Amino acid sequence: MRRYDQMSSLVWLAFSIYICIASSRLSFGSFDHPGPGFLPLLVGIFLGMFSIIAFLQAYLSKVVDETTSSWYPKERWKKLIGVLTVMFAYAFCLEILGFLLTTFLLLIFLFRYGMEPKRWVVAIGASGIASLSSYAVFELWLRTQLPRGIFGF
Amino acid sequence: MDLLSNLSLAFSVIFQPNNLLFCFIGCVIGTLIGVLPGIGPVATISLLLPSTFHMSPVSAIIMLAGIYYGAMYGGSTTSILVNIPGESASVVTCLDGYQMARQGRAGPALGISAFGSFIAGTVATILIMLVAPPLAMIALKFGPPEYFSLMFLGLTLLIYLASGSMIKALMMACVGIFLGTIGTDTISGIERFTYRSYTLMDGIGLIPVIMGLFGISEVLLNIDEASKQEIYKTRISNLLPTLRDWKDSIVSILRGTFLGFFLGILPGGGATIASFGAYAVEKRFSKHPEKFGSGAIEGVAGPESANNAASQASFIPLLTLGIPANVVMAILLGALMIYNIKPGPLLIKNHPDLFWGVVGSMYIGNAMLLILNVPLIGVWVKILKIPYPILFPLILLFCLIGVYSVNNSIVEIVIMIIFGIVGYLMKKFRYEAAPLILAFVLSPLLENALRQSLLMSHGSFSIFFTRPISLIQMVVAILLLALPLIPGFKKRPKAEEID
Repeated sequence: MRRYDQMSSLVWLAFSIYICIASSRLSFGSFDHPGPGFLPLLVGIFLGMFSIIAFLQAYLSKVVDETTSSWYPKERWKKLIGVLTVMFAYAFCLEILGFLLTTFLLLIFLFRYGMEPKRWVVAIGASGIASLSSYAVFELWLRTQLPRGIFGF
Repeated sequence: MDLLSNLSLAFSVIFQPNNLLFCFIGCVIGTLIGVLPGIGPVATISLLLPSTFHMSPVSAIIMLAGIYYGAMYGGSTTSILVNIPGESASVVTCLDGYQMARQGRAGPALGISAFGSFIAGTVATILIMLVAPPLAMIALKFGPPEYFSLMFLGLTLLIYLASGSMIKALMMACVGIFLGTIGTDTISGIERFTYRSYTLMDGIGLIPVIMGLFGISEVLLNIDEASKQEIYKTRISNLLPTLRDWKDSIVSILRGTFLGFFLGILPGGGATIASFGAYAVEKRFSKHPEKFGSGAIEGVAGPESANNAASQASFIPLLTLGIPANVVMAILLGALMIYNIKPGPLLIKNHPDLFWGVVGSMYIGNAMLLILNVPLIGVWVKILKIPYPILFPLILLFCLIGVYSVNNSIVEIVIMIIFGIVGYLMKKFRYEAAPLILAFVLSPLLENALRQSLLMSHGSFSIFFTRPISLIQMVVAILLLALPLIPGFKKRPKAEEID
């Protein structure tokens, strides 16, 4: 964990620098009349300080790193990136293709290529039932306005 | 006399058919997600929050409350039968509960945890009735400095109790406060960090952040850590504990109830901390501490009572002070604001139906949960058999629809996915999401209280140390932050997550 702590604290340090720069563009005000940049700048400074402490803690730590060469096997990366990509694609297509079709396609992908591949029949059947029943609950019962898309459903 | 009229108001609200129905739905959903490992009350409440916007606020809060304390009942089932905690407050129940199941005593273990939870829940409800109204009266005397120091104390306590590194928890609190400042500044009207995005003008929405950090990240984590669970094949019989079981555990139940109630009220406390605390107390008080870990019924009764009492007590700071004690309460605070109800000392006076309705629902809800969890235990055991590969696409779908339905916004779906990735990485790199969420929700309140206090004191921070209530809170907070710096002081092992 030591190396990862060093890496992550540097990321937070960079983030704190961003907060400080961005909030310095807002008015800091004064202590008796704090402006909109007052709290963000304060928080940015504290985050930076804590990140440096966390980095030093990890750097000076005597704990030997556990074997981290296979922190994350390639196969799992594929699945994870696959799931994230279809979710972004879902957001992009939702208003174009409409709720029912997009949801149906998303679920087929998740059932078929998610954790444990299901047979096509199972994937299509389960996706059909799940998308239709969620449509019934949210659109028809709870009256949520789900997007209809170019096909009108 | 007041108490009686309040009680009659409580029951008149809860016995309205729709409130009764939503209380039941909340209890069923709570038990369900308590039973299912991998989805906890935080994710579920945020998932269902958007769908409650169509209900009356009273029904909505009754249902959401039912989910929270219902999960405490359901969580023990999985701990006892599968040795996997259904949610974080049931982690310690695994220690003795599973051992009892292995010895063929799954029935009494499940039974005592349900009865213990029922007793704790009922006692906690009575205590809420007695404690909340006077506390609200005291809270009326709170000015901006007192509010600031109370929120500061709440955050500090959560950071102190963080399971991992305290410095990481402090960092997460800073990030949470920063995220809370995004949007239009309420005092000056100036936009902050919005980059002219229409969606960001109102600030980052609570729901996409919570669903991302708790819902999506949990699914992503489960995709690579899919656990193969096996239900311990034991015949669940004799759910009613014997006279000897009662004799062994009644004191533990009562101790757990009061300890849980106390830890639940404290900002930053919560059900998880309460259950760990109760286990430690039971072991210390026991005449046979060596039996703990090998199937001692006290080790199930104490923590299970404590987590229930704590989950109900944590409503007190929310409903009387407007300060959430834990992440679930932070979500409910957000919900109340969306319903246009201002939580705080005036809530009991301005919305008596909401406060007393929730109290009434706790009485009825606990009775419903006892029925759901004792005679119907077989149903929940069957649900445990649903494989996660079937469940996770449906959880993702709920997240996507839930977030979209709040503002019909695609951008919020994208924000949720981004926070899902952030939450996943945080878990991998061992950063806790709880301080971030609490700080994020408190940020606007904290900033207003800080700026108003400084206006009052003409820029002097001494205002937090000259007013008695504020002084006490600040001293406790500073002590908590300073404790780990004292040489020789070691942080106690902490609960995995503060719900």
